[in-house]
Amino acid sequence: MKKIINKPEDFVNEMIEGIVLAHPDKLKNPGDDPRILVRADAPVAGKVGIVTGGGSGHLPLFKGYVGQGLCSGVAIGNVFSSPSSQQCFEATKAVDGGAGVLYLYGNYGGDVFNFDLAADLAELEDIETMTVLGRDDVASQPKENRQERRGVAGTLFAYKAAGAAAERGDTLEEVAAAAEDIVENTATMGIGLSPTILPTTGALSFDLPDGEMEIGIGIHGEPGIHRGPLETADAITDRLVDALVADLELADGDSVAVLVNGMGATPLEELYVMYRRVHHSLTSRGVSIGKNYVGEYATSLEMAGASISLLKLNDDRLALLEAPASSPFFQEV
Amino acid sequence: MHSTELIEQIQRSLKEVVKHADELRDLDQALGDGDLGITITLGAGAVIEALEELPDGATPAEIARACAKAFANANPSTMAALVAGGLLAGSKTWKDLDDVDIAAAARFVKAAGDNIAQRGKTQIGDKTIVDAIMPAAEALDAGEDGASGLDAAIAAAEKAVVDTRSLRSRRGRAAWLQERSIGLQDPGATAMWRFLESWRTAGVPARS
Repeated sequence: MKKIINKPEDFVNEMIEGIVLAHPDKLKNPGDDPRILVRADAPVAGKVGIVTGGGSGHLPLFKGYVGQGLCSGVAIGNVFSSPSSQQCFEATKAVDGGAGVLYLYGNYGGDVFNFDLAADLAELEDIETMTVLGRDDVASQPKENRQERRGVAGTLFAYKAAGAAAERGDTLEEVAAAAEDIVENTATMGIGLSPTILPTTGALSFDLPDGEMEIGIGIHGEPGIHRGPLETADAITDRLVDALVADLELADGDSVAVLVNGMGATPLEELYVMYRRVHHSLTSRGVSIGKNYVGEYATSLEMAGASISLLKLNDDRLALLEAPASSPFFQEV
Repeated sequence: MHSTELIEQIQRSLKEVVKHADELRDLDQALGDGDLGITITLGAGAVIEALEELPDGATPAEIARACAKAFANANPSTMAALVAGGLLAGSKTWKDLDDVDIAAAARFVKAAGDNIAQRGKTQIGDKTIVDAIMPAAEALDAGEDGASGLDAAIAAAEKAVVDTRSLRSRRGRAAWLQERSIGLQDPGATAMWRFLESWRTAGVPARS
């Protein structure tokens, strides 16, 4: 294992410390626990707070989406592990501006368990909460079970929309509805080429023979739906886009937002080769691209691979995506 | 049981239940991380204190809510958060209630158990506190008066606790032990049983 780390058990806290030291104008620890980060100006009085959270190892997910026009706070777990219910609750208290708090995070058992407990603790303090789960990974469950899908890179769209809705002063119900509307219209599928090494155990996140690819892989190396010899960029991209177009039932005249996301070790160059094919594939179907993102938005440490997310657009969704936002990892001006 | 009486009953029961802290710690050390003893001790102390601070005439629902808040914050842990959420759910069945009878107690315990099961994604037989709560709630519900209902609930919880010994733990840290959890008694279920016993020892049973 070759990694630029100190003691493996210090990895997460030292990473967070570095982020806070680099961006003191944007982020802060509200209390003594380094695993809780909030916007530097939190709590914002009268505005809905948005708390996200999850395991480390996915930067910019999740802590990268704490900022103006995005989430208000985050509870941070160990690599690929949930934060505790107490941490989720402390983050809730730190961002509550009196208008309630939305929990918005990816659908994983441990995170759901701890955020649900945090919601009870918040209720005892008279803080109203609602929950919306990112569940965009179409390979994790068939469409009829889409409530059970995992949340992956496409959760970015929900952060962006919910954050914009909260910033303009929407109520908790309205912010939650905006997030839920985005989740319902987002689909993502990934491809894995090589695993990541977990810093504390040295274990591989998944096994994949040389020369093979895994279509539908999750951001923790969860198995996908097809494993086979590595194909060309166009063939891979077509597999992903075909699945997403079918899932969202896109038709001639529709418009989408596109996110081509690198998983950590795949270069931007390759992501743009994929984006080019996404563009041609969608436009040939009469589907226009209203907004695009190409880069690293949800990673799995140094995993090689990529994912494509599509969000079916309408005027409301596009306006929320185009509203200003600013975090150390994400800008929309 | 009205406000003042309920507060005194809870306080006396918690002073009893902490006498079992070592037993709970030992059971939890075998199956979990061993913090259940301290969770109960610190939680009970915090609840007793919080109830002292309540204004006169607090409703039973407000009393239960104060218990939940104090217990959750005393020694934050998954167990504390689950129990606090259970008490919160129970308190919602006491809306507009000022006299806690056996039926109200049964409703409370059932709602608490349902909430813990839902939050913990667990069911009866998973070898958790839920194994003891649910049969106790049923026994309370079938009870004709406070004393006999409580006796039946304690018996039902004790049976459930004994039954957990032959079960495999399916939730929490204990689940990591897999087959090795068989033969060990569940500490969460035991805590519920000891709490009900303490309620009886503490005196005044709920009127019918």
